[in-house]
Amino acid sequence: MKRYSPLLLIAVVALLTALPWFAGPTLVQFAINALMLATLAQGWNIIGGFAGYASFGNSIFFGLGSYGVAIAMVQWNLPFGVGLVVGVIFSIIFALAMGGPVLRLRGHYFAIATLALSQVMSAIFSNLEVAGRNIGLVLPLLRSDTLFYELSLGLLVLATLTVFYLSRSRFGFGLIAIRENEDAAQSMGINTTRYKVLAFTLAGLFCSLAGGIHAYWITFIDPNSAFDLSLNVKMIIMAVFGGPGSVLGPVIGAAILSAISELLSSTLSSVASLFFGVVIVLAVILMPKGLTDCWLKFPVTRWRYFINNIRQYRL
Amino acid sequence: MDLLLQVIINGLLLGGLYALMALGLALVWGVLNIVNLAHGALIMLGGYAGYYLFTLMGIDPFLALPLVMLLLFILGYALQRYVLTLIARSPMFNTLLITFGLDVIFMVLAQLFFSADFRTINPSYAGAHVTWFGLTFPQVQLYSFAVALLLTVGLWLLLLHTRIGRAIRATAQNLSAARLYGVNPKKIYALTFGIGAALAGAAGDLYGVVSQITPYIGATLTAKCFAIAIIGGLENPLGVIVGGVLLALIESLTALYVGPTFIDVASFGVLVLVLIIRPQGLLGKTAK
Amino acid sequence: MKRSIVALAGLLIVGQALAQNVITLGASVQETGALANTGRYYRDGYNFAVDKINAKGGLKVAGNSYQLAVKILDNQSDSNLSVRQYVQLLNQDKVSFLLGPFASNFALADSSVAEKFQVPMIQGGGASDQIFNRGYQYIFGTLPVASRYFESTLSMMKTLTPKPQTVAVLFADDAFDVSVAKGTEKWVAEAGMKLVANERYSTNASDFSTLISKLRSVHPDAVLVAGHETEVLNFIRQAKSLNFSPKLYSFTVGVPTEDFRHALGKDANYAFGMTSWIASPNNKDDYFADAKAFAEAYKAKFGYDPDYHAASAVADVEAFAKAIEKAQSTDPKKVRDAITQLNFQSLYGPIAFNATGQISLPQTVIQVQHNAVVDIYGQKTINKPIYPMPSWDKR
Repeated sequence: MKRYSPLLLIAVVALLTALPWFAGPTLVQFAINALMLATLAQGWNIIGGFAGYASFGNSIFFGLGSYGVAIAMVQWNLPFGVGLVVGVIFSIIFALAMGGPVLRLRGHYFAIATLALSQVMSAIFSNLEVAGRNIGLVLPLLRSDTLFYELSLGLLVLATLTVFYLSRSRFGFGLIAIRENEDAAQSMGINTTRYKVLAFTLAGLFCSLAGGIHAYWITFIDPNSAFDLSLNVKMIIMAVFGGPGSVLGPVIGAAILSAISELLSSTLSSVASLFFGVVIVLAVILMPKGLTDCWLKFPVTRWRYFINNIRQYRL
Repeated sequence: MDLLLQVIINGLLLGGLYALMALGLALVWGVLNIVNLAHGALIMLGGYAGYYLFTLMGIDPFLALPLVMLLLFILGYALQRYVLTLIARSPMFNTLLITFGLDVIFMVLAQLFFSADFRTINPSYAGAHVTWFGLTFPQVQLYSFAVALLLTVGLWLLLLHTRIGRAIRATAQNLSAARLYGVNPKKIYALTFGIGAALAGAAGDLYGVVSQITPYIGATLTAKCFAIAIIGGLENPLGVIVGGVLLALIESLTALYVGPTFIDVASFGVLVLVLIIRPQGLLGKTAK
Repeated sequence: MKRSIVALAGLLIVGQALAQNVITLGASVQETGALANTGRYYRDGYNFAVDKINAKGGLKVAGNSYQLAVKILDNQSDSNLSVRQYVQLLNQDKVSFLLGPFASNFALADSSVAEKFQVPMIQGGGASDQIFNRGYQYIFGTLPVASRYFESTLSMMKTLTPKPQTVAVLFADDAFDVSVAKGTEKWVAEAGMKLVANERYSTNASDFSTLISKLRSVHPDAVLVAGHETEVLNFIRQAKSLNFSPKLYSFTVGVPTEDFRHALGKDANYAFGMTSWIASPNNKDDYFADAKAFAEAYKAKFGYDPDYHAASAVADVEAFAKAIEKAQSTDPKKVRDAITQLNFQSLYGPIAFNATGQISLPQTVIQVQHNAVVDIYGQKTINKPIYPMPSWDKR
């Protein structure tokens, strides 16, 4: 991927920035959603792709960010920007408080613990008076999809630049070392706990901001939609489909999968989710290392690429 | 006092069903190291199998148990033998993803074939109860508790005292050593997954008698099964019974003393706590 | 070359002229997912009403005749997706007006799209008071006000002998049921009865054994449950297995549906419920003759009995037809103003929206007697209720 000239990427971003001025509202709102998912996938990439921790708790940050904005705007009459900060503060507190104990767990245990935490958070918010309990909160209406679009785009660019920086920094290499062999990384003198908690917080930061923007855009949140576990599954699928641990993989994965899923849900409707399930199963079997790996190796091995993958991973 | 005792009894009896739900998940997780996100969907399919056997052919849900289990065993065996085996050595989140994909597929197919209607298995004795010492014991719950105990002990004996059981345990501990023993791991894996699915099927059949089946019950049940399996530990089927009963009691007592909207806070909170304090489960031996 | 361009342009003009004679309504409903069971009433109701209005000659607007069409998307029971679909319906599929989804939380989220783009939405699936008290101008609802759901049940209870003295209320913690429960407290007090339990439980709870045991220890005469169908079914089955039988229990949802009687069999008997609609020949309608004829035609076409959801969906489509004809225009603002002026008799009941956009429609109390739904009480007693209901071991 390094062969891509930065110029091309800048051109793409510039083109995307201008999109609201030549695209219709449907495309813009599809794009807002796709950009949000890409940001989430990129956020998951930091903890899941680089550090190798399969977090099912990133949707917690999304929820905290949503509620940060909603509570600040509805209950405390604060402006949107302050709401985003409130959400980020919620998220950082959560990441620092729970990150330490939960990140000591490895493999499936970490996945299950974060999954359970997201259920706990959802249940707690459905009992909080200030969060509107399980009824949720209705946010004020803002008729400007262009603003939401540009915010989402900016956030994705920020997240991607962060991941780009990670991919060549000492911190990023430390995370990769943790993914490959945590015990070895520790004996090499990496403070694994601090690295992991930092990665978890950083991932949470982007999810939280995305959640805050989404809440204001969609104007209504309740615990079910804010702490939606399937959103977490989506970010994993998009990151893994695109190529976990790469810089652009999660973004490309999110773009492709959300385009397919949006197209299907507006045309085929009922069987759309069936197709989604089939795509997941096939993608995991045929290209378990993601699109970026396929992109690099397919030209060399052609169709044998898929067979080789199966050979490598089957029992 | 009577109220507390009654609530404890409700919890205990529900715990049996909970344990049966989680038994297959724990087995598959412990032996194959697959966290099966489609486990709840298998329970759901077992429920539909029981429902159709009862409504179309008039087979009593308890008599239908072996048949439901056989059907689900075949499905589970085939799934592992032909699909999951392809990614057996893939990174961990790939197994999570593929079972999630299967969960979605089962759910959509169930909706297409069985519709979104609520289904209940409603034999004449479904709501019957007996009264002992002034306390009410729902009959069906008593029976399912007995079935859960029976199947758990059966699984325990199978693992401990049969050739297949030893092969399964050997595979769980060390794949290459098991291979040296002359065990065909592909078959053992498929067999284990099949047994796990069969147990899920049995749970689904009974679930249809006490509650109701829709295509969408899977995800909630899977989450519940995680909590039970983790609390009970993955090493011994008998631990799962303890996990099931404990979770059900926690839920019932939370509903009684804190409020019914706090059930999820308590049950999943306990799950997180157990994971942080003793990841091997409350009854597990020392961590490997 | 030139000629073909001219021909093409001609074709386009003709195509447009044809397209202009269709007014498309758009909706995103739950065809799949956890709410599909009720979502289908809206899908089928919308389609059925549109077909019927077209068969009756469509609409006459400013001398031209128009056909109605409806574009329905499946939101897979995902409220975020449904919001995006409504934006898509308006901007890409170019629908002229919006019909609603099922359930209050969906209507809450989706009505913001109507308000954002200033296109009227008439919805028959969300009754929560929250939808209507935000001051939105473009949202109208054809379900009765949530807080008044149990009003008629309590006035019926006053007529019973012996009169119930103590009442327990159970409600799910979602927008709609919380509104219902708040209102019910007031009706219970007004009826001079005592509220002995008022319990909130989590939406989609499946184990009611603790709650039932708790109720059993306070012996309420009447139990009123505001929840969802799956919870209602669980509640009744578990009440039976724990041998809990108050003198009367009533449920906001489930009881009128065929599904309810199928799932419970004999145990469905004696349950009270409510419906904002009865399939009676007294409910006259311009398109379907009357509610009874509608119910029969619906059953023949879709293979299951319609309930008030379906009737409410039909009323939504009819309200648009009437409003467009009244406005003599398809301009969203003019149609919106015409909707506020509507006052017509439909198979669902009289349709006239109040200042907040809701209609006023009394709930009729119903009871399952001998495996059939019987209308019990509207403004006055229609049929004799079976009260107190026999305990489980005496059935």
